[in-house]
Amino acid sequence: MNYVKPERLDALAAQYVLGTLSRAARARVARLARGNETVAAALRAWENRLLPLAESLPPVAPPERVWPAILARIQGQRGSGSIWANLGLWRGLTLAGFATAVALAVVILAPRPETPMESMVVVLAGQDARPALLVSADRSGRTLLIKAVAPVLPTSDRVLQLWALPQQGNPRSLGLIPASGAASNVVRLDLTVPAGQALQNIPALAVSLEPPGGSPTGLPTGPVLYTGPIQRLY
Amino acid sequence: MALDPDKQRQRSARLAELLARTALSDQQAFAELYRQTSSHLYAVALRILRESGAAEEVLQESYVNIWHHAGSYVAAKSQPLTWLTSIVRNRCLDQLRRREVDTVTIDDEEPGMTLADDRPSPMELLLSSADALAVRGCVEGLEAAQKQAIALAFYQGLSHSELARHLRQPLGTVKSWVRRGLERLKACLDGAGVSR
Repeated sequence: MNYVKPERLDALAAQYVLGTLSRAARARVARLARGNETVAAALRAWENRLLPLAESLPPVAPPERVWPAILARIQGQRGSGSIWANLGLWRGLTLAGFATAVALAVVILAPRPETPMESMVVVLAGQDARPALLVSADRSGRTLLIKAVAPVLPTSDRVLQLWALPQQGNPRSLGLIPASGAASNVVRLDLTVPAGQALQNIPALAVSLEPPGGSPTGLPTGPVLYTGPIQRLY
Repeated sequence: MALDPDKQRQRSARLAELLARTALSDQQAFAELYRQTSSHLYAVALRILRESGAAEEVLQESYVNIWHHAGSYVAAKSQPLTWLTSIVRNRCLDQLRRREVDTVTIDDEEPGMTLADDRPSPMELLLSSADALAVRGCVEGLEAAQKQAIALAFYQGLSHSELARHLRQPLGTVKSWVRRGLERLKACLDGAGVSR
């Protein structure tokens, strides 16, 4: 069943969300919704209509053991620890990647050996903990150099957006990562203020997948592909 | 439970922000999201599954799922609480339907309203949510039988065949109550610009 008439689809979606469908019919609707935005949108429309009715249920506090069980499950999974509470994770994460980063940063910044190296380096890694992007900057410069150190997801209708993650408050966009045309895989992202200022008190960066033109909301809307802590070499 | 619209908007904005930060693996934001939503979602699960162990398990699985998929929440398409509720409800309903197939021969007890407790009945819930949500007119516009069938299905998770058994009506009759009730609710809500 790949095609469903619109009236039939609407009725099915309504009953799916209300919950009256049999097991087999539920499974069929869920399967249809997975690859099909029309079906998914019909479900969402009914969720928006009906689910607010659930707000009249008197709240019931779950037993206290539930939260620790959730935490154990999300922390037990590879590469999904908190970058906020658990920066230590990142230190152990990619020692090799970090060494590469330092070596590269030294090369990048070599033309000015007489001044202290006021630079920073970020190794951005995906869920598999393998380094994907290397971001480096001179603290007083207004440019971030971004190098792909692994094949980065090819995206025809999506762009990569770089975010600063403050200790407190919302992620802040640093801009869109330009598509790389050069063989060197190095691209430049221009900042409006010096990097040292743009990244002041920022412990980490992240990259999310966004629609063309970047996140419409000012906050990451797509999946976060890479994250990494900022290492300051000064 | 009736929040004024301003408070409701503020709460939604806050939950959307927590979801965005959860998508960036921010564990503190996730903990706060849990604090703000778990007793609501647990109530939803408990009501449908009617058993605290099963409800606890679904709640746990749902939050693990939320942690991994917070990035797929799109603020422009649904309210955060609606999105979260859909995750929990879908898991509950899937489990309930599975359970029915497993225990089809002994499924003779009266589900739903006859459970001996002092919780508000599905009908009371439906009408009180109507108070809170400015859709009072829409719910009140339903016929009594439609209202009852929709309330039992929504809050207790009864399927069409369970509704028929519970209300002692032919399956076709119950199905048409549900269908017409939903159609009328949709026309009324969409006309009032409540849903989006």
